[in-house]
Amino acid sequence: MVKVLGLVGDRQWSGPFPVALERVAAGFPSPAQDYYDGPITLPAELIRDEAATFIVRVSGDSMTGAGISDGDELLVDRSIRPEDGDIVIAVLDGEMTVKRLRLTSRGVLLAAENPDYPDLPVGELADLTIWGTVTFCIHHLYRGFRRAG
Amino acid sequence: MPANGRLIAHVDVNSAYVSFERAFNPRLEGRPVVVLSNNDGCVVTASAEAKAVGVQLGVPWFKLRADADRLGLAALSSNYELYGDMSARVMQVLGDFTDDLEIYSIDEAFLAVPTGEDPQDFGRRIREALRHRLGVPVCVGIAATKTLAKLANKAAKKVAALDGVCAWESTRPQWREHLMASLPVDEVWGIAGRLAKRLRRMRIFSVADLAAANPATVRDRFNVVVMRTVLELQGVPAIPFEEQRTFKDQLIFSRSFADPVTTNTGMRQVLSIYAQQAAARLVKYDQAAKILHAFASTSYYGTEKHHAYSLAKLGRPTTDPTVLTKAAYRLLEQTHPGVRYARAGIMLTDLCPAAGQEALEPFVDVHEDRGIATLVDQVQRATGVSAIGLGCGGLANAPAWSMKREILSPRATTHWDELATVKAL
Repeated sequence: MVKVLGLVGDRQWSGPFPVALERVAAGFPSPAQDYYDGPITLPAELIRDEAATFIVRVSGDSMTGAGISDGDELLVDRSIRPEDGDIVIAVLDGEMTVKRLRLTSRGVLLAAENPDYPDLPVGELADLTIWGTVTFCIHHLYRGFRRAG
Repeated sequence: MPANGRLIAHVDVNSAYVSFERAFNPRLEGRPVVVLSNNDGCVVTASAEAKAVGVQLGVPWFKLRADADRLGLAALSSNYELYGDMSARVMQVLGDFTDDLEIYSIDEAFLAVPTGEDPQDFGRRIREALRHRLGVPVCVGIAATKTLAKLANKAAKKVAALDGVCAWESTRPQWREHLMASLPVDEVWGIAGRLAKRLRRMRIFSVADLAAANPATVRDRFNVVVMRTVLELQGVPAIPFEEQRTFKDQLIFSRSFADPVTTNTGMRQVLSIYAQQAAARLVKYDQAAKILHAFASTSYYGTEKHHAYSLAKLGRPTTDPTVLTKAAYRLLEQTHPGVRYARAGIMLTDLCPAAGQEALEPFVDVHEDRGIATLVDQVQRATGVSAIGLGCGGLANAPAWSMKREILSPRATTHWDELATVKAL
């Protein structure tokens, strides 16, 4: 059954209309048509819990093996409970420190990602203060970048 | 907030400014910490540890400075950008718990407890959410009235065994009576020094005495406002929802909308009305504002959640409605047309006496047009605050709006160049 919404060029019919975002076999409307919902926005893609997400800057190169370099920014979600293998911000001696969390049979380890830096055994997970879980790393490539405005 | 027969929760952040600082500086945990008022004048917030070593609110910093090292005291300037943003996040989290949220101040809110929720569990989950998602400690008091909810919150703070949450009606009656009998009457919301004195002359010394008073007698001897407090202590909701709240150094205007605001025009109207009201109130109390926060958020029931927040530092402390309106409109940079905002408001913080500014204002306005204020600023930056000033007030004293903040922590959530650093070592 096809419903005629209006003739193209018919001045009396106007308004937003759905746009098929995938190929549609002529004559058979796809039951799973998508709708235009606005352009891609980075915060919507990168932030899950807005209130709990913070951005921090990295100082040092102990995590280069994880693709985290000195000067990078990290998105940190404080609401995510980290699991084995996640990159976390841990509080060590009052300092916020970025490490990879390892839950091993012999206890908790905060691992560096650079052979020049040591791994830190921590003992029990309960003794460790996790500030948040790192979700994304922003690594700068284009050296000539200048913000708009 | 007309809670419609539901219980009311009062949530506030423990030593808010200190707690917001600690969220980004774990070194400050467990230590005596104070936050100073603008111009680094006096102590405006003190951590529990600071209070324990005898630091009092309001003490001038220059007096305390000498003892700071000996006390192991850390002092910080007011980082209002950080506090405003963290406050917005706190309110955003609280908005997840109820359809009826009343933002009461920069660090306090009242929530209607949804029907069917166990109050103790509700409070516990709120406390856990703020700790887990924001790293911020809060206490929660839940009761049938706002006044009792605030009292319950005090109990939650004082009594360690309550673990930060006090569901008033869940406690034993004897415990409640004992607590109310032991608290002086000025611990009640709305009962301040002079009023407490007059009550004591009527032999009302404790909270219990006030709760036992005859509301009609209180109304006759004092006024209807105090009567409402008595009714609330007796478990009868009586304090109407106020669109405006005034504190010593904060002013807040906010309300929920019956029909959501969805257009820029609609939001402009709301913000403009609040800015006008705020200006009138400032003039009435002879105060000027330095910082204007504005916020708007979507309904609890909507599918699209959005919490918008903006902060504008006013060029100089002002009561000018045009300036306030323009500052409030900053929020429009954060709101999106089409989104159904169910609640909006503005908050003015860092209020200061307006007297002393008045003589200068018409004078300064003229100079503003010719860029003189900017020139003065530039010269002062290069050669010091005392090198040049406007008129007779400028040279002898630092201008009231200079906002000296010598011990400012990074504005880690609002300034890209001041992000918190994490060590990769």
